[in-house]
Amino acid sequence: MAATWVVVPAYCESAMIQAVVTALRRLGWKVVVVDDGSPDATSSGARLGGAAVVRLPINLGQGAALRTGFAYALAQAGTRFVVTFDADGQHDPEAVAALIAPLASGAADVVLGSRFLRPGARDEVPPLRRLLLRTATWVGRTTTGLPLTDTHNGLRAFTTAAIRRMHLSQDRMAHASEIQAEIARHGLRCVERPVQVHYTSYSLAKGQRSVDAISILWDLLLTPRRSRS
Amino acid sequence: MNGSQIALLSLLALFAFYIVRLRSTAMDRLMYLGLALAGVVLILYPEWTNIIAKLLGIGRGADLTFYFFIVFCLFHFATTAATLRRMQRDLSTLAQHVALDEVAAKGEGQRGG
Repeated sequence: MAATWVVVPAYCESAMIQAVVTALRRLGWKVVVVDDGSPDATSSGARLGGAAVVRLPINLGQGAALRTGFAYALAQAGTRFVVTFDADGQHDPEAVAALIAPLASGAADVVLGSRFLRPGARDEVPPLRRLLLRTATWVGRTTTGLPLTDTHNGLRAFTTAAIRRMHLSQDRMAHASEIQAEIARHGLRCVERPVQVHYTSYSLAKGQRSVDAISILWDLLLTPRRSRS
Repeated sequence: MNGSQIALLSLLALFAFYIVRLRSTAMDRLMYLGLALAGVVLILYPEWTNIIAKLLGIGRGADLTFYFFIVFCLFHFATTAATLRRMQRDLSTLAQHVALDEVAAKGEGQRGG
């Protein structure tokens, strides 16, 4: 447990961030909040909750915030696992331990949370959101060949070795598809674990709007990957 | 499809290939220089546009000039977009370094753990 860092990318989350951090800290996790240039009190809320805070001077997007959090976690002595966790309270802090288990046992390099694996879970996801996620999942499966059920879930766990191998360059939301592509490219061992996503009016208002799917496609198609060695 | 359309389409294909494969700052500058020189020549000898247009089967020189203007605009958009992307990437790297250095300087690594 001491070797795990929970990375929480946050933009304008002053309403929720302290509670989210506190809940994670109470379970004993090390938490780093990457404040993505929020103009509000996100940083101070995160500090009050007991997190280390990395504050980006300008808003870059969730992908860049995650990369920053990864860099921070890798720079800390003794880090073995890194978990990504959403700042808006939609994830259950108790789920972190279940996500790390396959890494700790050596069964996987990457564990992805899926909101569709739980029995009866599909009815909890709003219909339009479900259609979009299904489409994104289908595209991801077709392009990477990974048999995943949920590709845009913010709850993920990685070994430090897996993070070092992944080459991530997407600044904004297309990073989710990019992570999937990198897992496939390096042949990382990847499993899914069921996680519950609590859709509250706050998290729905804060999170991705459904039209953002267009921006994700745009980023994926028009941003060339960096040259590969 | 007539001969001129084939010629123009292959010109566009060549242009796309240039954008994807051959681009470099030096080549870009050569392209700009070449286009500027062509402009000067056509100002001095406006009737040449008609002659070249006839050869390509386009008809009027004005149309040929317009087609070249479109290609020039595409070229300019492409180079500008590439520059912006590079700047965005550099800015993002820079911002991340600033943020991480700030944390290291404050010794915030002690927190959160």
